[in-house]
Amino acid sequence: MIPEHLRYTAEHEWVSGDGPAAVRVGITDFAQDALGDIVYVQLPDEGATVQAGESLGEVESTKSVSEIYAPISGTVAARNTALADTPELINTDPYGEGWLLEIVPADPAAVAALLSATAYGELINK
Amino acid sequence: MPLEYADGGVIAEHTAVRENAGVFDVSHLGKARVTGPGAAAFVNASLSNDLGRIGPGRAQYTLCCDDATGGVVDDIIAYLYDDEHVFLIPNAANTAEVVRRLTEAAPAGVTVTNEHDAYAVLAVQGPNSAALLTTLGLPTDHEYMSFSTATLAGTELVVCRTGYTGEHGYELVVPSDAAVAVWDALFEADPTLKPCGLGARDTLRTEMGYPLHGQDLSLEITPVQARSGWAVGWSKPSFWGRDVLLAEKAAGARRTLVGLEAQGRGIPRAHMEVYAGDARVGEVTSGTFSPTRKVGIALALVDAAAGVSVGDTVEVDIRGRRTAMTIVKPPFVKTSVR
Repeated sequence: MIPEHLRYTAEHEWVSGDGPAAVRVGITDFAQDALGDIVYVQLPDEGATVQAGESLGEVESTKSVSEIYAPISGTVAARNTALADTPELINTDPYGEGWLLEIVPADPAAVAALLSATAYGELINK
Repeated sequence: MPLEYADGGVIAEHTAVRENAGVFDVSHLGKARVTGPGAAAFVNASLSNDLGRIGPGRAQYTLCCDDATGGVVDDIIAYLYDDEHVFLIPNAANTAEVVRRLTEAAPAGVTVTNEHDAYAVLAVQGPNSAALLTTLGLPTDHEYMSFSTATLAGTELVVCRTGYTGEHGYELVVPSDAAVAVWDALFEADPTLKPCGLGARDTLRTEMGYPLHGQDLSLEITPVQARSGWAVGWSKPSFWGRDVLLAEKAAGARRTLVGLEAQGRGIPRAHMEVYAGDARVGEVTSGTFSPTRKVGIALALVDAAAGVSVGDTVEVDIRGRRTAMTIVKPPFVKTSVR
């Protein structure tokens, strides 16, 4: 499942929206399926600045821990507080209720430069 | 054995065992047989636990210790058939070494055979496991840690009241060529039975505080340190490691295995360091998320010199974040094996 309207990274994150307002970030259905049951999410605080490609937190499943990489540079505007008590939302609804955080892009053009749904689909089906 | 089954997931498999029934294909476990005049006496003079505490038809958790260091070569379930016949289930990776040590020490007339490929082991675990086996006409009423033989799918198998999940359960020792038929029969008897993988096996045993060899028990960790002294027949005149273990027991272990329960949301994992204030006082040997308690839990070896005990708070370094944990006495979840 790869929604057409989202942008993607090779690190299996999705980005919704195109700036300059905050864009929403999550991990893909492919990623949550590979991780298995997610039991803990560590996210940066609101107001934190993040750099594209750098680790901004981690998602831990019963099987392993994976870092989450910032898809774009910017400032954290919000984080999904529901994940503290119900991290399994990432498994059940990765593109919806299981979103991770919102970032105000430092450069709105950066979002358009991410992978399209088609390109991401090709990446994971290689 | 997979980590988890397709459309299963560790938590769903774990919950099936705690609330209904799950089956683990633990055929990777070793199988070895010790036979001949004096076989049981030989095993009793070698492995740690006292076979004299049980009678024929009973099983016992025991340890194979290194005679010189007292470190644990393996933890084993021993099935006592009679004075001349003991069946052993060691861990997969250690079977060859256990068989080697026993073979080397065996007196004339006692034979040690590695029968690893001859049997599959299917562990049916959970509160509904007895009802499931009853449907198949298998015996289920025998006491915890006992076994009996039965017939299913045209083959003779051994039904043991054992397991490593903390739930009421059975381990079926089945000739390899009948394993698939027995597996299928289990699912026909109860379609709600869930196949469970290594991930759930690990979360289930960790909730019970049961040690895993290679993590909580090893050649570097003695039963005195791992609080497995209950599996040692201290009054026996002979078992491997007796002298060094008795001395360690008398002197007090330099470190002991404790339970840790996260106060916040972090999940401790093996090899993470344990701190009391600024002092490093130990290391996590097993750590996981408890699906039953919904909290991070761990077993950790903590230095006796640190002076911390049950109820105290220590910190685990989780990838650079200090996370407060309470020292507790396992199990983390109430046992229901009987």
